[in-house]
Amino acid sequence: MTMYDPTVDQRVDKALANDFLRLATRRATDRLRNNRVKAAEELGDWQKWREAGETIRTHVVANLDFYLKQLITQIEKQGGHVHLAKTPAEAVTFVKNIVREHKAKNVIKSKSMISEEIHLNHALEDEGSTVIETDLGEYIIQIAGEPPSHIIVPAMHKTRQQVADLFEPIAGHPLTSDTPTLTRFVRNKMRESFLQGEIGITGCNFAVADTGSIVMVTNEGNGRMVSTLPRVQITLMGMERLVPSFRELDVMLNLLARSATGQKFSSYTTILTPPKQASDPDGPEEFHLVILDHNRSEILGDKTFRPALNCIRCGACFNVCPVYRQIGGHAYGSVYAGPIGAVITPLLENDWYKWGHLPFFSSLCGACSEACPVRLPLHDLLVKLRARKVVGGHTPKIEHQIFKTYRFFFTHEKTLRKALRLGSKLQWPLVRNGRISVGIPPLSNWTNSRTLPKVSPKSFMQMWSELNRN
Amino acid sequence: MTNTNEFISLLASKLGRPTPTQAPEPVAINVPQYRSSTRKDRASLFLDNWHALGGKGMIVKSPEETMQCLKEWFGDQQATWPNKQQAIVAWDMLPTVAEFAFAALEWPLVRYSQEAQSSPDRYSLAAQAELGVTGADWGIALSGTLVVNSSPQRGRAVSLLPPLHLAFIEASKLRDNLFDVLEELTSLGMPPSAIEMISGPSRTSDIEMDLSIGVHGPIEVYVIVIDD
Repeated sequence: MTMYDPTVDQRVDKALANDFLRLATRRATDRLRNNRVKAAEELGDWQKWREAGETIRTHVVANLDFYLKQLITQIEKQGGHVHLAKTPAEAVTFVKNIVREHKAKNVIKSKSMISEEIHLNHALEDEGSTVIETDLGEYIIQIAGEPPSHIIVPAMHKTRQQVADLFEPIAGHPLTSDTPTLTRFVRNKMRESFLQGEIGITGCNFAVADTGSIVMVTNEGNGRMVSTLPRVQITLMGMERLVPSFRELDVMLNLLARSATGQKFSSYTTILTPPKQASDPDGPEEFHLVILDHNRSEILGDKTFRPALNCIRCGACFNVCPVYRQIGGHAYGSVYAGPIGAVITPLLENDWYKWGHLPFFSSLCGACSEACPVRLPLHDLLVKLRARKVVGGHTPKIEHQIFKTYRFFFTHEKTLRKALRLGSKLQWPLVRNGRISVGIPPLSNWTNSRTLPKVSPKSFMQMWSELNRN
Repeated sequence: MTNTNEFISLLASKLGRPTPTQAPEPVAINVPQYRSSTRKDRASLFLDNWHALGGKGMIVKSPEETMQCLKEWFGDQQATWPNKQQAIVAWDMLPTVAEFAFAALEWPLVRYSQEAQSSPDRYSLAAQAELGVTGADWGIALSGTLVVNSSPQRGRAVSLLPPLHLAFIEASKLRDNLFDVLEELTSLGMPPSAIEMISGPSRTSDIEMDLSIGVHGPIEVYVIVIDD
């Protein structure tokens, strides 16, 4: 029985063969990383800020029931509607029902990773509504029909020419591929959509429990448009995305902006306490907050992995990961890529066949843990996930067999000696230029891409006893 | 469909204890905060950071200086705006210096929340305007950020839809860092429906990481710091 999805290898091979993707990913992640380091230094005593970030997040997660209840109570008191979704399907249904109830044809969206997690767009389009992603990067991948390849720069893998080619049929005339032309096209095109939007869907970087506020960070201003112009606002939120009060936002917003893009703050940080007050001249009259669990409560109950809920989705771990930097986001196959994606996807999706490869998309170098603004021990969690996969029996039988054999030989010294002597004599059909480079399965999994040293004619144990004798 | 109590008690059981009835003790936050030595330092740091973000900014001491500044920034452009009567959209009430300067220059201001009856009409007003003019509630020196609260006399779209945004802020409203602003916001009690923190023009690096200014929000941003 195959224990993992064969498309994993196909995706990796595809990424490795895509020179532009690899160059663009390295270039972009280098830039983002350097910006982060600079912005962190500039703030002074970054480690203190990280510690504060970790303390706040750990406190929130450890009291998630209280703060979530406080948030829900506060929002309902202010006239907002809260929808609690156990599963992605439930979250989609909530949104669909709101759209249906308003007979809304034009839905505009700012960036939300939860909407990716629940695969919202297709569901709404099936309802006959037009859903427009208004973040430039998200818009590009929406037209291309692809998932984001980076949590902060979703269209990192696209060349400017590919972007121009995607926009041209919509523009109805040729477009040059320079950035100002492409940006201007989107500005003009999107203006109509903003002004016609009946429902705005936003993400949520933080929700403030004691005031019932939603904090949203964008650079383009699309988040502001989506939360200002439509009559109805729907915000999608992961259950853990909370701070107790305004007081903690200073630390969290500094950590987020500086770690994500190296800015002091993003161009627009919006703190919304919707719906609008009756006499406000703009803003949504109706507000819905959809809060998604999707196995986050399981992670909460699992002390080993509970810290994974501390993540603030800045993407800093992507930019330093030697695996991500080689293969980009699509090779992971998951909505969340990079080290944090490798940690949370198997836990959220609870499907080892499909996602069991992810904890192995890591060299365990620890660069992710060092970059994380809330000090998540990401590489440590990855090792623990690997262990969980084995203990849960989600690894192939052949792997069990190999380790059983390994254990047998390494606990039986005499047999091991004999086997090594035999090996050094029998290995010749596999050896080329002094290395083992031809293999039959399962050895070929290794030898197809690299070689093994050949078995030495004299084993270490032999050499050791000779040394002792002299 | 889950009800709130069910949802919350599941979390409590995962945490292995009943949900606390009282707010947990807030965590101690111990981070070094930037402090400026003088008011003048604060204003100049604010403007340095604003300029670094690509904004234009000036400190003015009198209505005359304000007029001078407005003429310098918008005088030439203003001559080319096709519909001068509707070109500048503003809050109902701007700081006195600003009201005086626009009146003296005879540049008409369209009042966003009064001029139109319905929200869509207001949006069209703001969308076709060339310049949006607002005040600000606080400025953050450390990051070059304007903090703007919504209210019935204001309107969020004024600083969002026109391609140019100009804000007036009294120097006495500048603060060193976000922490100080959040403290004051907390002491106000119930927050306004929107608090917009604006740090420079709208920007994106989504195409090949190439920085591009003015994708959805304002393309150019201006601030006049009133030395009060």
